[in-house]
Amino acid sequence: MRIGLVCPYRWDVPGGVQYHVRDLAETLRGLGHHVEVLTPAEREESLTDPWTTFAGRTVPVPYNGSMAGVQFGPVVAARVRRWLRDGRFDVVHVHEPATLSLSLLVCMLAGGPIVATFHAATTRSKVLAALGPVARPWLEKISGRIAVSDFSRRVQVEHLGGDAVIIPNGVHVDAFAEGPRLPAVPHDAPTIGFLGRYDEPRKGLPTLLEAMRTVVARHPGARLFVAGRGDAEQLDRLVGEELRPHVVLLGEISEADKAAFLRSVDIYCAPNLLGESFGVVLIEAMSAGAPTVASDLDAFARVLDGGAAGVLVPRGDSAALGTALSDLLADPDRRRELRARGAEVARSYDWPVLAQRILAVYETVATPGGGVTALADDDVPGVPPTGAAPRRSRWRGSAR
Amino acid sequence: MGAQAWTWTVVAVVVLLLLAWTAWTLVRLRRLETRVARARETLESQLRRRAGLAEELAREHPAALGPLRARALAEAAAQARSTPRGDREAAENGLGRELRDLPADLPGVPASLQADLTGTSTRVALARRFYNDAVRDTQALRGRRLPRVLRLHAGRPVPRFFDIDDRLEALTASSVGEGAEGRP
Repeated sequence: MRIGLVCPYRWDVPGGVQYHVRDLAETLRGLGHHVEVLTPAEREESLTDPWTTFAGRTVPVPYNGSMAGVQFGPVVAARVRRWLRDGRFDVVHVHEPATLSLSLLVCMLAGGPIVATFHAATTRSKVLAALGPVARPWLEKISGRIAVSDFSRRVQVEHLGGDAVIIPNGVHVDAFAEGPRLPAVPHDAPTIGFLGRYDEPRKGLPTLLEAMRTVVARHPGARLFVAGRGDAEQLDRLVGEELRPHVVLLGEISEADKAAFLRSVDIYCAPNLLGESFGVVLIEAMSAGAPTVASDLDAFARVLDGGAAGVLVPRGDSAALGTALSDLLADPDRRRELRARGAEVARSYDWPVLAQRILAVYETVATPGGGVTALADDDVPGVPPTGAAPRRSRWRGSAR
Repeated sequence: MGAQAWTWTVVAVVVLLLLAWTAWTLVRLRRLETRVARARETLESQLRRRAGLAEELAREHPAALGPLRARALAEAAAQARSTPRGDREAAENGLGRELRDLPADLPGVPASLQADLTGTSTRVALARRFYNDAVRDTQALRGRRLPRVLRLHAGRPVPRFFDIDDRLEALTASSVGEGAEGRP
């Protein structure tokens, strides 16, 4: 199959959507499909892979607290057309088709099967709500919609109308499953791992520290390893005299060390109080073979198969968390069981598995013999609003 | 310019805007019509494929299914195939139920046929969702006031949702306890 992926965010900066598109492209290429990516970047040279095409630069626009890349104008439109024409795709897959983004521009200019993945599950939905109706005429061209989580599906249903199939974010399970352990984490003592910004209250570290008192009472050698960013002094005060020998701060760790860290701990704990639209870190922990104890957030409960693949405790309940952790540390059989079940669950989030599900979507929308075409300026009947797609883009281009 | 000239200008502008808007809406409606037709086509072909595979299973491997079940499956498949387009939901539901009730392992049935059946059931669920999505978009646009008042696309039937129970939650890993369809 010939597949064209569109990433609206700069390829040269790290980000969830970019990683998603990159991993999907690599997985699909590995399965023998022809995949090309159209994406903005700061400089054309930063796109090193031959299958990526430079779509120009984005104009940063403050957008609900973060920066969104706006990309519109005749030059970009010409690049999109050329990419569509040269690519001869069976299906075009745009990501996060927000207003004024490259993805929406592709929706405007492409004729034929379009698939879209909606990632947003945050406060941006307010903007989506306000701008949804503007983009709607072009979003109507999308024949298959995918949401990465239940939450982003709800955003999509409520603000844009229309349903979406849920296909979650993928994880490279093997990269987590195999590799060395982190030398800093000892073999011989019971260890618990925490990952994330530890000074953010919603991540729930205070609850876990409180629970550690219970754990230490039953397992005097137990230690908690904290990896992530935050204010170290504040953490030190929070830990206090009594717990200090039992808490080790690793600080920020690299992606490779994160996998090693998750492979090394006896239990991975996610005591989050709220948020987390999708428990990617739990999937990573399960891939790495760490038995997990997590708070009973909806997203976590779903990932942990309702408690079959990990232990769920009421959020914010440090007594329950302490008991659950101590019990699990004392029960190697249960840990082995959770590890096996977790590895099984993690497999269903492995990229090759998810790529197959996405391919099923492509095959459902693709029509035999009818691929994606680039609509020319004068392709559509000579009515102003249709012509307004390119025409308006020209106007926007001159305005900036 | 006198008051009358102003009035005429305003009227002309309003008429022009209305025309432009009408033309644009017609383009959208036509586009949606194509999308609905295409989605329906895919849905029909996947449903036909599912019925065909079910028939094959019932015909070639009655021993694995047991004679009772094989007959019921063959009947359901025939029913799904023979019912006319407009009124297929009940028949397809019957077939879907038969297929879901099949035991997990069927000795003697080639793995490729089983995989084909599971794959096709997934495709049916996807195709149905995408079709209903297209119908929803069309109904939303046609239900708006101006298209209704101007009777744009009048005379063409409003497309209908296709409702069968295909256990989409399993496919979408959607939340527990939520309905199969999150229709607004």
